[in-house]
Amino acid sequence: MTAVSISKMSEISLGARDMLPMALAAATYGAAFGLLASQSGFSFGQSLSMSALVFGGSAQLVALDQLTAGAGITAAILAGAALNMRILLITASMRAALVNRPWWQVALGVYLATDASVALMQTAKSRGALASYWYLCGGGAFLLLVWILATSLGALMSQGIPDPARLGLDFAIVAVFVALLPGLWRGRNDLLPWSAAAGVVLMFTWMFPSQASWALILGAIIGAITAGVTHDD
Amino acid sequence: MTTEIWLSILGLGVASYAIRLGGYLLALRLPQEGGWARGMEALPGCLIVALVVLMMIKGGTIEWIAGGVVLLVAAKTRNLPTSMLVGMGLVAGMRILVL
Repeated sequence: MTAVSISKMSEISLGARDMLPMALAAATYGAAFGLLASQSGFSFGQSLSMSALVFGGSAQLVALDQLTAGAGITAAILAGAALNMRILLITASMRAALVNRPWWQVALGVYLATDASVALMQTAKSRGALASYWYLCGGGAFLLLVWILATSLGALMSQGIPDPARLGLDFAIVAVFVALLPGLWRGRNDLLPWSAAAGVVLMFTWMFPSQASWALILGAIIGAITAGVTHDD
Repeated sequence: MTTEIWLSILGLGVASYAIRLGGYLLALRLPQEGGWARGMEALPGCLIVALVVLMMIKGGTIEWIAGGVVLLVAAKTRNLPTSMLVGMGLVAGMRILVL
């Protein structure tokens, strides 16, 4: 092996290793989805295909919910897409890792992008490095694998899993994102954008309680706009 | 029902991929300096803040206490797995005590 491919392999495995905490959180979520899907009449192949194609927990759960409620195909797709819309913001922020790559690498890189990619970029930054393309792919591929395995496990177990809430597992995903905040904080310049993002989410969910996914996207965009129009000290 | 399920899976799969690719293509066309760049740099932080606010709205006292502790531990240690395990342990422990 050449030196280049050795460093590529080590980037991939480092990404997978850094993904571990998010993978644990995703595993419980994936098992829950698999379980619910099989109870709602999804075949094993359908649950697996959905996890592989959509690769977004909340979007899958919402689409599943719409389908079982009899809302129809269009409503299910629209509701799920609304929840996945935030990934648009994530692949946008992955620009530096993707730019000037061959088209198939861009195609693969964006497919593996999730909320957890933000966590990986943050972990790399705390080491003083920019998240490389292969690092993000290694982490993303590992998460996808865990996601599909967890979905299968959940789909196969129709009953008899312990209540995840009793083990605090449902809090895992919240804890991951809360723990990201100190690292994302870049100093006083972030105060205004962050307050704007939080304020918009609070206001919007208060006015439109059933539109949480739009509250999220609107909050993030208005926070970013605030950062864009204000000048650094 | 089974055709309906397959069509929804395929439709949402295509939509999700288009969203993923769309974000990158959009970022390619935005200026790399000035206000746009400042906004894009602030975007991951704002997205996670929005996500945390949304999740905490649904939480009760236990989740708020655990969330606060996770924030402190993360600020001190800057270690993601440790902070996460502390949070999960706290939530599980407090739920046992309360129930």
